Amino acid sequence: MSPKTVQYRAGSIIYFEGDQPDNRVFILNSGKVCLKYSDIETGAEIQEFINKGAFFGVKSALGRYPQEETTQVIEDSTVVVFTIPEFEQLAQQNTRVVLKMLQVFSTQLRRIHKTVQNLMNAKVSVSPETGLYNIACYYLKQQRFSQAIYAFGRYLMIYPHGQFAAEAAKNLETAEARLGQQKSPASSFAPGKLPASDARVIEKPARTKELSGAAQQYYQGVSYVTNSKYKEALEVFKQIIEAGLDAEYVPRAVFEVGRCYYFLKMYDKSNQIFSNMVQKYPKHPDLNEALYYVAKANEEAGNRQKAMELYRRLMSLTAPTDPLNRQVKQAFKALEGAR
Amino acid sequence: MQALFQRFARTFKKGDIIFCEHEPGDNFYLIQTGRVQIVKIMGEIEKIVDILNPGEIFGEMAMLEEAPRSATAIALDDVEAFEFNKENFELLLKGNPQIALILIRLFAKRIYDQKRRLMILTLKDPEAKVADVFIMLGENTAPEEGQTEIEINTKVEDIAHWAGMDPAKCKEIISRFIAQGKIAVFPEKIIVKEMKDLVRLVNARRKPKEK
Repeated sequence: MSPKTVQYRAGSIIYFEGDQPDNRVFILNSGKVCLKYSDIETGAEIQEFINKGAFFGVKSALGRYPQEETTQVIEDSTVVVFTIPEFEQLAQQNTRVVLKMLQVFSTQLRRIHKTVQNLMNAKVSVSPETGLYNIACYYLKQQRFSQAIYAFGRYLMIYPHGQFAAEAAKNLETAEARLGQQKSPASSFAPGKLPASDARVIEKPARTKELSGAAQQYYQGVSYVTNSKYKEALEVFKQIIEAGLDAEYVPRAVFEVGRCYYFLKMYDKSNQIFSNMVQKYPKHPDLNEALYYVAKANEEAGNRQKAMELYRRLMSLTAPTDPLNRQVKQAFKALEGAR
Repeated sequence: MQALFQRFARTFKKGDIIFCEHEPGDNFYLIQTGRVQIVKIMGEIEKIVDILNPGEIFGEMAMLEEAPRSATAIALDDVEAFEFNKENFELLLKGNPQIALILIRLFAKRIYDQKRRLMILTLKDPEAKVADVFIMLGENTAPEEGQTEIEINTKVEDIAHWAGMDPAKCKEIISRFIAQGKIAVFPEKIIVKEMKDLVRLVNARRKPKEK
């Protein structure tokens, strides 16, 4: 099958605006054809001449929509007529044609989308920054913690100097802690005590102080970990440690480096990091968690006795109300039961 | 060709956010397996805008303009999708020609839908706006055999949104339509008794074409 060439006399109409969908797609080969339609906003009649080699009637044919315009033949013209299967074949074989068409459509779509948006947004809408922060708060309120983590993480990556950066960081920690409580072992734990949740949805922007450089980097790293981008996370945490500027975030970064190696299944490395951490920072808030990862690493590596010994030690180190205590008990029981 | 594609393959677990409303973004996605839910959060309410299936594309507006994402995309199941952007888009087309047709059809649909919405929004008369929303929503539904009624799965809040109108005002107009016997409203659906009545109303109030 191949497309037909059809002659049209001056003054004829190929199709009328509003006609039921055609099964035909056209290309103007020679002559003069013009498209006539009413502008939706003003009602004014618009006339556009079709360029030689340009397609017309595509949207109506492919989408099965009524024709959007009347095509009037001004001078005697020749037109190539495709059936839908013929056009589909052409589209599959000729990327150039398709790209050009998509470019034309995307310009049309962009223009009309903008017009619609302008008419819709009569009221003042929030900025993207506020909008994103509000969404993250919504998920936290709904206790959908992994989604809250994603959204706060994205906020901190996009707006590290943002209006809500400090609150977002706090809320990210809260979400991670709560998620850790929900999930089974080998997920993140609260570093020390749980920070208070600050998940008010923001109507008016509040003045808050900016996060320090190290803090911003830290939360970026945490965000990477949440998205399983451990190599990227390692880079960021190592930078914090190397810079050595922030007494609060360096030890936390050390802990996170250990965790990243654990998640990368590099158990020798993670154990080494944790063991050094315990020596260097004997008052580190995440000591128990670190020990837990060492225990899990031993379990993964097949050192059952060592793992059980560490789990036993952890059970005596943690209060029964500590969620970590519960996880350790579960892990211990599982290991005990598996002979 | 499969190997080429694996470069662009991304997986998401059920519940993962693929992208968030208001985020910048320049990737668009072609779903291979699983379903994706498109939602908008308005205050305390999360509204499902659409549910997309394998073979469908989303995020394409990012390809067209430098604008933040207009909605949130969440994996409804475990999802495998190809992730593309302006730069590798040509490569995508060359390797997978049937995508060309998916995209042309998608853009055609989007343009048509936007034009239809614009027709509603440019009506001056609020009653005509509401009536045209019903007409639009009923456009792809045929009445049952021997009946003139058309059933539309929608809520009053949705009507207000399409009409670009304050929900309270919209409710007023809908109450009037109910009193006039034009429509009947139920919790999850609205029934239009006689679509021709609404069409007549809209045509009477639509701006006459200038010559």
